[in-house]
Amino acid sequence: MFDLKGYGWMLWEGLAMTLTVGACALLLAVVMGLLGAWGKLARNPAARLAASTYTTVIRGIPELLLLLIVFYGTPTLLQKLAETMGHDIRVDFNAFTAGVMTLGFIYGAFATEVFRGAFLAVPRGQVEAAYACGMSRALAFRRVMLPQIWRFALPGLGNVWMVLIKATALVSVIQLDDLMRKSFIAMGVTKLPFDFFFVAAMMYLGITAVSMIGQQQIERWANRGVQRA
Amino acid sequence: MALAAEAVARNPALVARDIHKAFGSVEVLKGVSLTAQEGDVIAMLGASGSGKSTFLRCINLLEIPNSGEVLVGGELIAMTKNRRGETVPADSKQVDRIRSRLGMVFQSFNLWSHMTVLQNVIEAPIHVLKKSRAEVLEVAHATLEKVGLADRADYYPAHLSGGQQQRAAIARALAMEPDVMLFDEPTSALDPELVGEVLRVMRQLADEGRTMIVVTHEIGFAREVSSDVIFLHEGRIEVQGPPDAMFGNPDSERFRQFLASNLTT
Repeated sequence: MFDLKGYGWMLWEGLAMTLTVGACALLLAVVMGLLGAWGKLARNPAARLAASTYTTVIRGIPELLLLLIVFYGTPTLLQKLAETMGHDIRVDFNAFTAGVMTLGFIYGAFATEVFRGAFLAVPRGQVEAAYACGMSRALAFRRVMLPQIWRFALPGLGNVWMVLIKATALVSVIQLDDLMRKSFIAMGVTKLPFDFFFVAAMMYLGITAVSMIGQQQIERWANRGVQRA
Repeated sequence: MALAAEAVARNPALVARDIHKAFGSVEVLKGVSLTAQEGDVIAMLGASGSGKSTFLRCINLLEIPNSGEVLVGGELIAMTKNRRGETVPADSKQVDRIRSRLGMVFQSFNLWSHMTVLQNVIEAPIHVLKKSRAEVLEVAHATLEKVGLADRADYYPAHLSGGQQQRAAIARALAMEPDVMLFDEPTSALDPELVGEVLRVMRQLADEGRTMIVVTHEIGFAREVSSDVIFLHEGRIEVQGPPDAMFGNPDSERFRQFLASNLTT
């Protein structure tokens, strides 16, 4: 169908990198999201302030700008800090770390809202029943709330993942060899923009399609025992 | 001898003294007290809004009373004031420990929906009382047998009828081997034909000599099973006494009216 002039392997390599960045960023986003939701629902006013500052800041700044700040800005900042303390060091972020961190933090803010809603969706009575049995707040959280939030969080998390995987294309601007950048390079060499971009687009679409099927399976599993037989 | 006997006399299983509770400006409880000796079955009756459920929830601090004292087996739950002057428990560990000795059964069952019936029953004994799994399983199966759910141990709550769910919830409370059982309108959410199976289990527990506080609308249960009846009206105890006296010849016009309106419906 398409003659990729032997450059098809580059796209596969790019796809692998895209999936790796996406998966690592999702993992970080889930951790940040749980922390953020916990902060937003905490009694401690400092925790609530920290969590809402996090989501406000992240959601209010363009993703590309945040990525550039993390990749170029943070090493400079750290070096300046070290200099003032009398150390002469050179800090370099590799593109992978910067990409994962940026995407993880950004989508962690969205996951925060997803998890916050999920925590609130666990029936209050079930939490009271846990307290009434003598469970501490921490134990009730771990044994009763945490296992149940997935059921409520999965649809939202699936959505976060699909937006996130497409946003990984941004990391190509910091020279990370993801699917976007690889197809760009191949296009530059072969002068076949339509072929390479179209195949790359199909690959992104493929990820999303497979993810949707996977999400349905996971949701079915998470809802076991809840739906009536 | 008499002195010695007095000295070892057991503390009442449960004492609540002068409990006050307001939600905002609405005063729900205006000083309610109760003493349950071991083996007592106290039925609490009252129209909805009379404060009976709130009172029950104050006993295990699911609601924090604004003032008053709760003693379980003679142990006072320590309260203190926070910076804003609100009454709060002084020691959350003590609250957790005391709650583990008070079994609570809710109107809406509140089984943990991600666990099977058996998992619901063994959860707290293992994770709160830190008992061994083998020991807990033995108790759990015996308890499920008692409430008639031995064959439903591996079902999830959503696959059970309301009556079965409530019996599972009773089994969950029983598995903690509590000193006192608190029932918060245990049959109010059930279809009429399912009420009987739950009341039967509760009657059986009463016959075994368990100490129970039962908030209920089931007049028949209160009359036949309880050792004491308390009638609440607008946050105060209107009248209380043994069931014979209460139902035979109540000296409260309000209670008479309450009975009349509840028996006809």
